[in-house]
Amino acid sequence: MPIIQAENLSKVFRIPHKDPGVAGAFKAVLRPRFEDKVAVNGISFSVEPGEIVGYIGVNGAGKSTTIKMLTGILMPTRGNVQVLGRDPHRQRVANARDIGVVFGQRSQLWWDLAFIESLNLVAKIYEVPPARYKQLLDQFAETLELGELLRVPIRNMSLGQKMRAELAATLIHAPRIVYLDEPTIGLDLIVKERIREFIKQQNRAAGTTVILTTHDLGDIEELCPRVIIIDAGALIYDGPISTIKARFGKYREITFETLGDASACAVPPGAEIVGAEPRKLTLRFDRTLTTASQVAQAVMNAIEVKDFSLAEPDLASVIKQIYGGALREPVTP
Amino acid sequence: MRRYLTLYWYFLLQRFKILLEYRANFMIGASSTIILQIAGLLTIWVVMGQIPDLNGWGFDEVLLVYGLITLAKSINHMFADNLWTIGWSYVRSGQFDRFLVRPIDPLFHLLADRFCHDGIGNFLVGAALVAKSTASLGIAWTPFNALYLAVAVLSGGAIFIALNLITATSVFWITESIPVTQVIFNTHEFAQYPLTIYHRGIQILLTWVLPYGLASFYPASFLLGREVGALAWLSPVVALALLVIAFRVWLFGLRHYSGTGS
Repeated sequence: MPIIQAENLSKVFRIPHKDPGVAGAFKAVLRPRFEDKVAVNGISFSVEPGEIVGYIGVNGAGKSTTIKMLTGILMPTRGNVQVLGRDPHRQRVANARDIGVVFGQRSQLWWDLAFIESLNLVAKIYEVPPARYKQLLDQFAETLELGELLRVPIRNMSLGQKMRAELAATLIHAPRIVYLDEPTIGLDLIVKERIREFIKQQNRAAGTTVILTTHDLGDIEELCPRVIIIDAGALIYDGPISTIKARFGKYREITFETLGDASACAVPPGAEIVGAEPRKLTLRFDRTLTTASQVAQAVMNAIEVKDFSLAEPDLASVIKQIYGGALREPVTP
Repeated sequence: MRRYLTLYWYFLLQRFKILLEYRANFMIGASSTIILQIAGLLTIWVVMGQIPDLNGWGFDEVLLVYGLITLAKSINHMFADNLWTIGWSYVRSGQFDRFLVRPIDPLFHLLADRFCHDGIGNFLVGAALVAKSTASLGIAWTPFNALYLAVAVLSGGAIFIALNLITATSVFWITESIPVTQVIFNTHEFAQYPLTIYHRGIQILLTWVLPYGLASFYPASFLLGREVGALAWLSPVVALALLVIAFRVWLFGLRHYSGTGS
């Protein structure tokens, strides 16, 4: 039984149309015209309890709008969404008890209050039983190393400390689903690591379902066995990250530093040029058509090579290809 | 209901903890309103010094009207000041979305989020004016009069809050509601004086459309034994009706918001 079920979910915004200039502004007041902007276009997916799903796409692809519909803030224009068997918008308050939300850089904590006071207030709002509260607080204090932060007001915290505090406040009522909107943005590697560890641990120990939007590929590789990719409001991929890697990972890049002019070299079969400077040549080849040694040999036969390196395709380049349009046609995993 | 009262109490406690941390800010805020009020009072004092009788109303009688509306306004100021700032501090910043993913009523959350201590200064000035004028006018503090005053002030406060709630709802269409709120709110200044000094149109406006007069002129008239008929008793009824209407308007705005986002 899925914990989240979205069917043909769409959101269309009516935005006022304005021509440029003063005349345009007057016209917009006298005769308002509206344009429809489709932010989310017929998305369907379902999430099982205990999953961690990466929800990714470029800025403006419709990620936030989808999250707002799942959390009950926005009402879908078309389609249907069920979270824990409820309509999150119509039954917003009931839904709110079972979910936790981290909105990127917007804190849910009171700026001037000591962190522990903010936490106490959040716990009151969610009616967390005192014994449970104490137990979770102790647990979070340990895993997120909050001990020395509890007396500190949010305004005096660093970005990383703030995010740790934010996560604790979001999970203090033990929600069954958490929506994390870019939880590691702007953080250093050590804090990122700790936060990922915490999310994993919550998922494992409490079975918390996690929906994560991020631009950080490290987050995806370490946390999300499954990703949903949206582009221009439409779903273009839903499946395991490994399929994506295999599909786009058949390419390798090989870079040569040459003594002579690199442009003199003919491109070996099965490869293509991705970068050419006077003394540097980068080729991409399809592993199913040729091999690294064949490509290297062909180049070395043509010109004198000082050094060369072979790059493993990382997820970053894969995602870049996808955003670049390589997945416009939906694929089945 | 009980849950919300307890919650409000916790919000208030936290708010005072913040205020205690910024003691200077607290003192300046609370006293700045007193200074502003004194400026307003000086005007009355100067004017009444020239014309001792304002359309049949003496200095202390005008002070009673002024004091009553100041008390009503201070209730709005203390408990509903966030209706002014909803645009830039909540809707535009996205903080309002936070209220919508919490298991409590978003309007309650908005109002409870910030008790405004600046209103305390207004309350003290209003209380002092009412005390002074009733003493000078020989109005006895019988239990009946005290109860009547309390109901009048609370109803007046509710009228202020309801009208501000209606105008604040415009935030869901125009993302900054302060200009709209300002225009409506400022008409209360007419009701700082006896309504009889104004043209009939203004009297009707402040009695039936934007009923700020029910927070000051009518209850003051009743206490002074001036005949105003049923209007002396109408404040709580109108206040309640206005609150219901305002809440409906707010819910309508909220539905619009969930359709469009900010």
